[in-house]
Amino acid sequence: MTLPFVQSAPPGAPSQVSPEAGALCRAWYEQHGQAVYRYLRFHLPGADAAEDVTSETFLKAFQAAHRYDPALGEARTWIFRIARNSLRDYLRRSRVRRHVSIGGMRDLACQAPSPEERLLWEEEVGRLLEAVAELPERDREVVSLRYGSGFDTAAVAEVLGIKEAAVRTRLWRALARLRDQLTDRGEP
Amino acid sequence: MSALPEDLQDLERRLVGVQFEPRASLGAEILGRFQRGDTGAPGRPPFWLRVRGLAAVLALVGLGLSVFGLFALRSPALASVDRCCHDFDGGGDADDGLLILSRAGTEVRRLAIYEDRDGSRSFTPADLIRFARSGGPSLHAQLLPGAITTEFCCLDYDGGGPDDDALLVVGLPPDRIAMAAIYERRGPPGLPAELR
Repeated sequence: MTLPFVQSAPPGAPSQVSPEAGALCRAWYEQHGQAVYRYLRFHLPGADAAEDVTSETFLKAFQAAHRYDPALGEARTWIFRIARNSLRDYLRRSRVRRHVSIGGMRDLACQAPSPEERLLWEEEVGRLLEAVAELPERDREVVSLRYGSGFDTAAVAEVLGIKEAAVRTRLWRALARLRDQLTDRGEP
Repeated sequence: MSALPEDLQDLERRLVGVQFEPRASLGAEILGRFQRGDTGAPGRPPFWLRVRGLAAVLALVGLGLSVFGLFALRSPALASVDRCCHDFDGGGDADDGLLILSRAGTEVRRLAIYEDRDGSRSFTPADLIRFARSGGPSLHAQLLPGAITTEFCCLDYDGGGPDDDALLVVGLPPDRIAMAAIYERRGPPGLPAELR
């Protein structure tokens, strides 16, 4: 790809993004933004953190777009590689930072007709995600991509660079571990 | 995954039902940041650079400790400020609150304006967030003729201590917020202010 992505600008001045590059960035976010956010949300405790890492992911992707080669794989795979690295960086940095969660689960979609049902659903999701957070990293990755991003097993295999059969095996194992954890906590 | 045992199928159904939705304005915000030349947080440097950097940092820290003592290690901590209630959206009722997360006295990392729905006069999960932004300024709606701009000055909005910060809010009555920003007053009105 040889898009004139970011045209040179004097130091300190805003970058000049060409119209075609701007359109490509918009298309990338529209196609993959929600999946990336949902993947990150399965890993991170709040909407603010997920927004930060989503922003970081796409800013890095936009900045490096000239290095993306469609012949080597789908944009989705490339963007998710950046998302996984950004997440790792964020988690490493956050070890030395104090977390402040201000929004609870304001980003959780819910069709519940009453506030009580919504509250119960939020609590259940909280318990599920706590259990997901305790899974080994490899299992957590598969669960986040499959149920967070909503990918089928073929897409998960492509993003992780492993065989689809291996994804199924990991998924079964992860679900069994999750079930055991929830049972140990006395949850149905 | 139809071959899953029944108890795992139930768990799978529950996980499939978990759907998070990013803020509708997030995409436009990221594109705007990119067009302004914001490249996000710096990536992890290569190993050799980290080792060299670490050696340099250790040398500097040693020097710093000898000169400035332990005060050199202190950095501004994160502070949260919750101020309620004012009429930020121009709707007539003083039922809006302001929630700020900042590095004390230096940088605003989060700014949210909420409607104090439960009347607790502080932010609770029951309240409705009307506006939220991260470090960079953002505009959530086209300015309309009915917009009301309000300036609140001066209070400690960034957790730094002195009451030297001002808040600027553009509200769209009765209940929308188009823009909010915090800046530090550096002198009498009329002098340039520093955006936080």
